[in-house]
Amino acid sequence: MSTKLSRRSFLELTGLAGLGLAAAGTVAGCSSGPPSGSATWSMWSSSPAEKKVWDDFGKYVEQQLKVKSVATLTPSPSYPTKLDLQLVSGTASLVTALNGTLIPTYAARGAHRPLDDLIAADPDFKLDDFYDTSRRISSFNGKTYAIGFDVAPTVMYYNKDLLKQQGIALPSRTEPMSWATFRDLCKQLTKPGQQYGFTCAPAIDDLVSWIYCAGGNVMSDDGGRSTLGDPESMEALQYVIDLFVKDKVTPPIKNLVTESSLSNFMQGNVAFMQNGPWQVVNARKAKFDWDIIPFPAGSAGSKPRVSGSSFAIPSGVRDGAELDLAWKLIKALTSTGALDIYAKAGRNNPARLSAGTAFQPPPDNLGIVQDILAGKLAGGHAFDVTTNWNQVKQLLGQDLPRTFLGQVTVPEAINGLTPRLDILMRQHLDTVRQATARKG
Amino acid sequence: MAVDTAPAVTAPAPSHQSSNPTPRWRSREALTAWLFILPSLIGFLIFTAGPVVAAGVISLLNWNLFSSPTWAGLHNFARLGPDPTFWSALGNTAYFTLVSVPLTIAVSLALALLLNHGVRRIAIFRSLLLLPYATITVAVAFVWIWLYIPHDGLVNAVLGWFGINGPTWLISDNWAMPALIQMSVWKSFGFGMVVFLAGLQAIPQQLYEAGRVDGTSPWNSFRHITLPMLSPALFFVIVTSVIGSFQVFDQALIMTNGGPGTRTTTLVMYIYRTGFENYDQGYAAAQSLVLFAFIVVITAGQFLFQRRLVHYDN
Repeated sequence: MSTKLSRRSFLELTGLAGLGLAAAGTVAGCSSGPPSGSATWSMWSSSPAEKKVWDDFGKYVEQQLKVKSVATLTPSPSYPTKLDLQLVSGTASLVTALNGTLIPTYAARGAHRPLDDLIAADPDFKLDDFYDTSRRISSFNGKTYAIGFDVAPTVMYYNKDLLKQQGIALPSRTEPMSWATFRDLCKQLTKPGQQYGFTCAPAIDDLVSWIYCAGGNVMSDDGGRSTLGDPESMEALQYVIDLFVKDKVTPPIKNLVTESSLSNFMQGNVAFMQNGPWQVVNARKAKFDWDIIPFPAGSAGSKPRVSGSSFAIPSGVRDGAELDLAWKLIKALTSTGALDIYAKAGRNNPARLSAGTAFQPPPDNLGIVQDILAGKLAGGHAFDVTTNWNQVKQLLGQDLPRTFLGQVTVPEAINGLTPRLDILMRQHLDTVRQATARKG
Repeated sequence: MAVDTAPAVTAPAPSHQSSNPTPRWRSREALTAWLFILPSLIGFLIFTAGPVVAAGVISLLNWNLFSSPTWAGLHNFARLGPDPTFWSALGNTAYFTLVSVPLTIAVSLALALLLNHGVRRIAIFRSLLLLPYATITVAVAFVWIWLYIPHDGLVNAVLGWFGINGPTWLISDNWAMPALIQMSVWKSFGFGMVVFLAGLQAIPQQLYEAGRVDGTSPWNSFRHITLPMLSPALFFVIVTSVIGSFQVFDQALIMTNGGPGTRTTTLVMYIYRTGFENYDQGYAAAQSLVLFAFIVVITAGQFLFQRRLVHYDN
């Protein structure tokens, strides 16, 4: 039996079907979130190996808290944007991972809540089991806004095979070499077009280690003005730029965006690489013998950048059961057990002293990471940042890389940058004042 | 007299109108049309018109995304004047548009003419030439980064065969933008080519035959038959290309990140950074409204211009 469908009936049916689909989609959309009472947390993850670590974290959380763990994993480059949108739309997880350089940015804007009241009310939680530098990185304006999960100083990786082939004695495992010695070694090890002495990223993140070692900084102590033009900072900048432009001991820069010191080092024809222990896990794939040593000492000693990451609780988390679960979750994620998983996988040095033994060689000299943090060896300098660090970094990222290419001199670049940096520093001070006023 | 000169009684309305008082917009055909337009209209209102209105409101506020916004009035627009990065980004975007659009159109038109004249297996060539357009920009951008490597990249290797010492392309003050333009032309000529090819194939052959009878040269035939008959397609491609080039973002972000310095920072990249990296939503909205105004003015100018230069069949 066939029924003829009129055009009108067809349109009516199509319209009804469309409405039905829209309604079903709305219902599905509303119910697609994690089940109520889940332990939700956000983290960046850019590789299967990294994802496995976070999956193991999730299992650990479920064991400890007896609730479902729901991790939102996002590739590193898009993590901050996704987090911002979740924070604004009120859909952020109970706990969110934050890179240390962005903690003041989020804290000053009220995106995350201070944790001091929760820490004070919890006698089981021992904040002094975390490295001082991690605690400093996780604080803003005198308040703790996050709990660290990793922290580490920048170190110098070196290709042992390359030094041995050249008949050069291996550097001291504990005593930082001077900048003059480092430059001489780099020159000795460079064969233009074939082999290079040193590699680092042409960016402020790597330059600051040299600046701290020379006794300089990006900003004054109060964060109110740029100090890149001060003699100490200028000395450091000129030293590094000379390695690139004058001494030519670095591989030629092919592209400012994709330039990677790790990929240069992994080629096997670069003697020294400036990087953090977070690259140990990748450097283990190298087909040559390598190790790490303390960062070369400038006039102020060996004080490379110490950086880390932490977990924080968004301000949107409601007091009561939700906040209780968030606090339990942050404790589980930063507990010795969880950080053992992280360190055993070789991801980075854990922020907790009690989890330190899990971060094991190779390389042979990996122990210096914790010795540096504990102040037993060389030294380190917490990465000082402003509440508008993205803007500062963006500005420095415009003009500083041109010095690495020899397109402008260091004084030209710094003279051009300083007035704009000073404006950003003043804006930073204003933001700090506003944040202080908001606290009452 | 006034009475004598007054118009006669209004002409009677067509009988079907007088017998059916339903207004035209409520007729069955009109309702059906609205029904078909509705999904697209809803999408336009929610995802295009809504955000434009929202940007207008946000541009009058100080808003860092996380705290409550505060009233800023026209302050965000006043900030545009002394901001060197904004003017640099605007200049870069204009440079990109002024060079890339004519180049893209020239390449698209040349290839369409070539394919339209005696190329066998036209479908294969058309598909091959359309591939760059159909490929994701991010993937293409990474390939071009490798092509542009200063010392051992393919582009400089080819230039080397002709004794030319190629520039450092993406890290060069002067060549970074031309490098982006070159890549963008390669990426987007396929779209124009397909539109032009369709336009060329719709031109009645009798016109060319009449021209041949009159002894018209190939150039005059192109100038007086092809171009006028192709002008609607040309106009469409110009308008969409100009709008697209003002919104250039992804290739610049991936290939140069706006550098060296601000040499390849485009307006949309600057808007994105202002809004989502610097958390200055009000200022980003003000910039995007200025960009919107530029596009509206330029597109309106193009529509005014087309009245004289674009020829439609009717």
